[in-house]
Amino acid sequence: MEEAKYKYIGRSVPRIDALEKATGKIKYMSDLSLPNMLFGKILRAKYPHAKILRIDTSKAEALPGVVTVITHKDVPGLNGFGIVVPDMPVLCKDKVRYIGDAVAAVAAETETIAEKALSLIEVDYEPLPIVDDPEEAMKEDAPKIHEEGNIHLHTEIKRGDVEKAFKEADLIIEETFFTGRQDHTPLETEGGVAFVDEEGNLNVYVGSQYPQRDQLQLARCLNWNPKKIRVVSYPVGGAFGRKDELSIQPILALLAIKAKRAVKITLSREESMIAYWKRHPFKMHYKVAFKNDGTLLGVDAYLVEDKGAYSSLGGPVLNLAVEHACGPYRVDNVHVDGYAVFTNNGIAGAFRGFGAPQTAFAIETIMDIASRKLNIDPIDLRKKSALRKGDKTSIGNVLSTSVGTELVLDGIRESNIWKNREELRKISTKPWLKRGVGVALTYQGTGLGVGIPDYGGAILSMNEDGSFSVRVGTVDYGQGIGTSYAQIVAEAMNIPIEKVKVVLGDSFLTADSGPTSASRGVYTGGKAALIASEKMKKTLKEKVSKLFKTDEDNVEFGFGYVYDKVSGNKVTYEELAKNFKEEGKLPEEEGYFLVPTAEIKIENAFGLPHHIFAFSAHTAYVEVNTLTGEVSVLEGAEAVDGGIVVNRQGFEAQVEGGFVMGMGYGLTEHLAIENGIVKNPNFSTYIIPSIKDVPKRIETIPVINPEDTGPYKAKGIAETVMVATAPAITNAIYDATGARIFSIPATPSVVYFAIKEAESEENFD
Amino acid sequence: MKEIDYFFPKTLEEALQILNENKGSMRVIAGGTDLVVRLKQGQVKEDRLLDISRIDALKGIEDRGEKIYIGATTTHTEILEHPLIKTSVPILHDAIKSIASLQIRNIATIGGNVANASPAGDSIPALFVLNGFVFTKSIEEERKIPIEEFFLGPSKTSLKENEILVGIEITKMQDDEVGFFRKVGQRKGTAISVVNGAVRLKKDSKPNRFSKAFVSLGAVAPTVVRAKIVENALESEEIDSLDKIMYISGLVFREVSPISDVRGSLEYRRDVSINIIYEGLADLFLNGFRRS
Ligand SMILES: Cc1cc2nc3c(=O)[nH]c(=O)nc-3n(C[C@H](O)[C@H](O)[C@H](O)COP(=O)(O)OP(=O)(O)OC[C@H]3O[C@@H](n4cnc5c(N)ncnc54)[C@H](O)[C@@H]3O)c2cc1C
Repeated sequence: MEEAKYKYIGRSVPRIDALEKATGKIKYMSDLSLPNMLFGKILRAKYPHAKILRIDTSKAEALPGVVTVITHKDVPGLNGFGIVVPDMPVLCKDKVRYIGDAVAAVAAETETIAEKALSLIEVDYEPLPIVDDPEEAMKEDAPKIHEEGNIHLHTEIKRGDVEKAFKEADLIIEETFFTGRQDHTPLETEGGVAFVDEEGNLNVYVGSQYPQRDQLQLARCLNWNPKKIRVVSYPVGGAFGRKDELSIQPILALLAIKAKRAVKITLSREESMIAYWKRHPFKMHYKVAFKNDGTLLGVDAYLVEDKGAYSSLGGPVLNLAVEHACGPYRVDNVHVDGYAVFTNNGIAGAFRGFGAPQTAFAIETIMDIASRKLNIDPIDLRKKSALRKGDKTSIGNVLSTSVGTELVLDGIRESNIWKNREELRKISTKPWLKRGVGVALTYQGTGLGVGIPDYGGAILSMNEDGSFSVRVGTVDYGQGIGTSYAQIVAEAMNIPIEKVKVVLGDSFLTADSGPTSASRGVYTGGKAALIASEKMKKTLKEKVSKLFKTDEDNVEFGFGYVYDKVSGNKVTYEELAKNFKEEGKLPEEEGYFLVPTAEIKIENAFGLPHHIFAFSAHTAYVEVNTLTGEVSVLEGAEAVDGGIVVNRQGFEAQVEGGFVMGMGYGLTEHLAIENGIVKNPNFSTYIIPSIKDVPKRIETIPVINPEDTGPYKAKGIAETVMVATAPAITNAIYDATGARIFSIPATPSVVYFAIKEAESEENFD
Repeated sequence: MKEIDYFFPKTLEEALQILNENKGSMRVIAGGTDLVVRLKQGQVKEDRLLDISRIDALKGIEDRGEKIYIGATTTHTEILEHPLIKTSVPILHDAIKSIASLQIRNIATIGGNVANASPAGDSIPALFVLNGFVFTKSIEEERKIPIEEFFLGPSKTSLKENEILVGIEITKMQDDEVGFFRKVGQRKGTAISVVNGAVRLKKDSKPNRFSKAFVSLGAVAPTVVRAKIVENALESEEIDSLDKIMYISGLVFREVSPISDVRGSLEYRRDVSINIIYEGLADLFLNGFRRS
């Protein structure tokens, strides 16, 4: 086995932050308190769509204990932010576009006073018609949310001849699908503190996924020199894509600057759910052509993304959905037509999977329907068209990096559930409880895609005691990349992992390593850390060769020391560090890694194609109560191709967490917005899986498929592990009951009525 | 959250006195698991709270021969851990076990579950079929109210402003009695009922026949309701097939008037209120109506 030669890579290494997290010792940004600190609160829109006629803050300002009130007038720079298009106002000036839009903010001595002050701010509105149906919003005469119109992005891809494919098809499946508005529900809501220090630097301590980009976005809003803005974005209490984009940071910064004091904001769960990012709901119409032997002849897909009120990453999400619309299959006749459309339905942005979970639900349901209609085993059917290295993807780029489609399908075939599925589905404890098994396959582009700067960066320095510090901008928000970086440096430098200190997410201290998103954390930051380690070794070799007066080639690395293989002389890292120190300064090296990209660009589809992909096959074993529609997921399994696994324990945790997040997506989670108003903004009504809903066993099957470009041949798996869980479950529901699910979440009610419909069709037949 | 005055009386007499003096501006708090949520949402008009959780006289479970008395501030966990409950009133045991999570059950009380008067309160259908009575006290009087008369609507009870709910009495199940509690939530753990229900049947000397039937349903009307038509059918028919059970359960339709809300639609609640009664009865039938 490849990994047998390693001390750390591929092993189960406990998280380096496990103890401080388990004991609660770690301080998240929302735990921070500073002396003489103020509390900030944000006034949100009163209507989901309205003109602002007048804002009067005088009464709030007059309230004792209120230090600062801010409105759009206080935004010195660009009153807008957004990773792609900065169209979301920091504080709205003449219009609000969703119910969470920020209109004003207050900093006061106590939270209660700040709350009271909000109620004293007078805002006059002229309500506008609410646009809540993306397809209505696309019509010419629909009320406009943004002046340029409601269609944010249209991406259309054509390959081959779909019409011809339909003519030649033995089987055509045509269906419409809906997916829900999932909230990331990180444990930590948006929160943190900001202050201006003695040197005049603005410090913003808010957990996020990319400190350097936060720094630049803030500089643009504040009209400040970015070099004077320190963003500390680690530790983060969970993110999953939600904290890629800014949220409260510009308001917090403005309050701190104007008040000349430290200010803290922490959002309640309700405010967080109403005001910030979600997964985009999609409506998808698919028409798919098959041959009797299972050949996938053609796919025609029409995708409508409910963008919500502002752009953020909604464009790239649409494009990734378009890219993944046909699944990891070889298909030469393709027409994918996607629209991202503005509505007043909250805001949506990046979320684990980034457009892939939506289309995976559609295409994997269709594969299941096809396998039944064609009477071909579902894994065999998928294998028939599974992408292999050298194949063209549905959007036409040639896969030249590692491809694990067949490996994960073979892997899942060996899972407990799949091997024993015939017996498992027969188990019946009561006549109304039906069991079934479902499978689904997916892949996920890693990294940012063509045309977007995509690099990893790491600074590695030797400390006085002979230990090393690695400083990377990407953050550990639970996925465990900090531990992986430590493993990579420990492995490369041949030192105990305890001797690696990891510093993450600090715009002043860490190397810019791009966003912590797109399954790229280990791949990019890890590779940069590896490159920095190699440089460091070179520097140490030079030093030691001088020290022992030997040739550099004779210098080798032992575990925690360096030696001359000719003389046998050795020097520990600690001694070396002393030596460096005496002669001047301790060594520091930087590693940068440019992520390889595809050789082609897809016309009119920014960012496409991706070049490196992770693959996974998921299976679920469910029991459905046909009387109530309740679904119990009894067991799950995932076979995942993430290249060479860096941390076995982290890998398993990702699979388990991803599967459960996929369960929530498939079965319960949807933020209901009616007429622009959120109906279920808390955990009593927005339903995420509880520990009692989690299956007793989620089997993790890593397939070993080295990715040559990655650090120790690893690639990212953080997204793919959640993507195909929902269709695996809904396919299992069908297997159990004969009820086909076209809309997720498949709540008990959705499942119950689907069963009823299936039964009445059966009676009719 | 607004500022409130908090009172911590040690005896029931003291508590009743304070409550009487502050009639109208004071609210009782026990575990606070319902009340604090509402307080945070600004839905509590009173600005004084009377914490009754440390009054010994309101706590504990008493074996009263054919009856069981449960003090109002007995927590759900205390109830579940009491040996009498599991053996003598398994329906109540199952109902309380389904409430919230362990952490909540450790502080939430049965008195709170009842006084809160949610149509979805999980202990309530069980208390309905176990012939429950509510005991109340004020400085003026003591009352014993049949549980069915206690509820006037969602969050509305017949408690007077100066009254405290002091305890609940239920009838033990005899060896010839079977029953069940069933709830459907939006997930398995920590879920509020979308529909719930309880049934108790007293067996007749003839097989598959019942001399007495109690059926109650929650979350399908402004208060928990008894399904009398279903009870009558269960008492008059021979329960000898699943078809018969389906027919009888279908009568639930005539007893419920559900609404649609964020947790479930009218149609779903209506169908599932029928189906959980079917499921529970079918379960019992397939088990030969044995007490498991
Ligand atoms: C996360 C969560 C999950 C939950 N899940 C469930 C569930 O699954 N099923 C369910 O039924 N409930 C559930 N609940 C609701 C709640 O926990 C229960 O209703 C609980 O039994 C209430 O008891 P308490 O002692 O906390 O009541 P409190 O909150 O203290 O009081 C509730 C109401 O009753 C009044 N009151 C309380 N005691 C008395 C008394 N002795 N005399 C007069 N008035 C009184 C109070 O004034 C208040 O109006 C849940 C709550 C939470 C927060």
